[in-house]
Amino acid sequence: MLEIRNLCKHFGGIKAVDQCSFSVEQGSITALIGPNGAGKTTAFNCISRTMTPTTGEVWLDGERIDGLRPHKITGLGLSRTFQISRNLADMTVLENIICQSKISGWRDMFKPAMSADEIEKAMGILEFLGITRLAHEDGGNLSYGQKKLMDLAALLMSDPKIILLDEPAGGVNPTLLEEIIGHIRKLNEQGLTVLIVEHNMDLIMRLSHRVVVMAQGQVIADGTPDEVREDPAVLEAYLGGTMEAA
Amino acid sequence: MSDTETFDILEQRKAYNATLTQAADKTRATWFPVVVLLLLLAMPALQFVGNYNYLLHLLLFTLSYVVIASGWNILGGFAGYISLGHNVFFAVGGYFAGMMFARLGISTLILAPLAGLVAGLLGYLIGLITLRVRGPSFIISSLALVMIFRIFFENWEFVGGAAGVSLKANDLTVQWAKLPYYYGFLVMAAFTVWVSYRIKHSKFGLGLRAISKDEIKAESAGIDTRFYKVLAFAISAFFVGMAGAVWGEYLTYIRPNIFLTVLISVNMVLICILGGKGTIAGPVIGAILIVAFNEFFVATLGASEINILATGLIMMICLMFFPLGIVGTLAKHRKLPRFLDWD
Repeated sequence: MLEIRNLCKHFGGIKAVDQCSFSVEQGSITALIGPNGAGKTTAFNCISRTMTPTTGEVWLDGERIDGLRPHKITGLGLSRTFQISRNLADMTVLENIICQSKISGWRDMFKPAMSADEIEKAMGILEFLGITRLAHEDGGNLSYGQKKLMDLAALLMSDPKIILLDEPAGGVNPTLLEEIIGHIRKLNEQGLTVLIVEHNMDLIMRLSHRVVVMAQGQVIADGTPDEVREDPAVLEAYLGGTMEAA
Repeated sequence: MSDTETFDILEQRKAYNATLTQAADKTRATWFPVVVLLLLLAMPALQFVGNYNYLLHLLLFTLSYVVIASGWNILGGFAGYISLGHNVFFAVGGYFAGMMFARLGISTLILAPLAGLVAGLLGYLIGLITLRVRGPSFIISSLALVMIFRIFFENWEFVGGAAGVSLKANDLTVQWAKLPYYYGFLVMAAFTVWVSYRIKHSKFGLGLRAISKDEIKAESAGIDTRFYKVLAFAISAFFVGMAGAVWGEYLTYIRPNIFLTVLISVNMVLICILGGKGTIAGPVIGAILIVAFNEFFVATLGASEINILATGLIMMICLMFFPLGIVGTLAKHRKLPRFLDWD
């Protein structure tokens, strides 16, 4: 469904992402892991076009998307969250979410900001995530974990085919983590393809169908969680020799 | 287990419905702007009982500020791009309509929408270039724009260079001479405020608000940020240009130094900041206050520089207590009187 071919991103002489290639199967949960500075987030940014890749191709459903602007990519069904939750302060959670609903062309731009249908849909999503009570709260007043949930809610508003989650468990307490894992699993069961960047090995090993391991900008391993766990190159990259918490 | 889940959801629904009824209770005081508009429409009748020319001039002056400040607010308030060069569009509108009036004799009141379109088109083209940067870089680029246009107009012989062009005054008696312009600005002010309201409540407005908070997030949310902000720039230039068109004929001359001074561009920003950037009523309240302060200090301190100093001082004090502008701060603390809640 999503295919990354020979993606490179150079910052001056530093090759943050170097000839990175992998693909994400339709309906799977694929994880992108690696030690700090491996280039995971940079690769992510290049896929969603928040950054411009130096060279390489990104294909979504047989369509090349690496030359498109980010809002076009979102329109094609690829939505992402950010590692440090970016949300819009001074706007309610509901507005934050409805911001993400699809707009096409002139006519839509001058429609009322929030139609009854959209509010209904947004409330449905909030209900699914169990944060309905936050709907009229200012987006800037939420706790860190609540922001992560709001990000997820906003993501769903755009009816994506594939979602890219950048560290959905970062800085989230264990109870909420369980909740987030449950939500991701449920969404995946409903047919949504997921690509996750994550440090939390527990989450990765439990959730993902496939794991892509990056180190120093390159893909060093690609397989099921069990395969990756035994891969010597991966153990080498993580230095410890064994993967903790796995 | 699923029972408790449904129960949770029902609880949340209940809580949500409670907030909904709260929101629905906030009925809009539409009567207030309507009454103000009617009063302003009837105001020139005072001329039957005496000479209120100066009062009408002040009202007209305020209304023109409402138009340009509300126009500026669409870019500066909604999209968060502070432009200190919007008087360029004031000048372009003024010169376009003024020259047409001087050459062809068509009243600028009729030409105003066309002048607005010219300014809007120019705004669109300039926006394509300058809106690529944001923050301080954008502000500086807008200042540079003023300098470029000032040099351009001062050296363009066809429009009279630095001396400008004088325009024919209308044939009405002194008592009624201001009337056409007064009504012109009144219609424009009402139209601008109405359009701001419509924009703020549209998807376009929501997108602009998202852009002002976090442009990268807005873009990845699927908003065509470049088009949105360039369009906002064009619309705001349209209103400022429209005001400029009539302003020239009202003063009976067009000259670079009546349009392209720092005072005008700074005033639109100050009005919005004082009244409340990004609100609908803000630019209106700000315009009234600025004109009122100015008049008060001119009357008490004389027409020296001291009155400008005093106005500045008052503004500083206002902003210490109302950091988000008067309307913005009151709304944030939920103390905004209902008749001023135009958002």
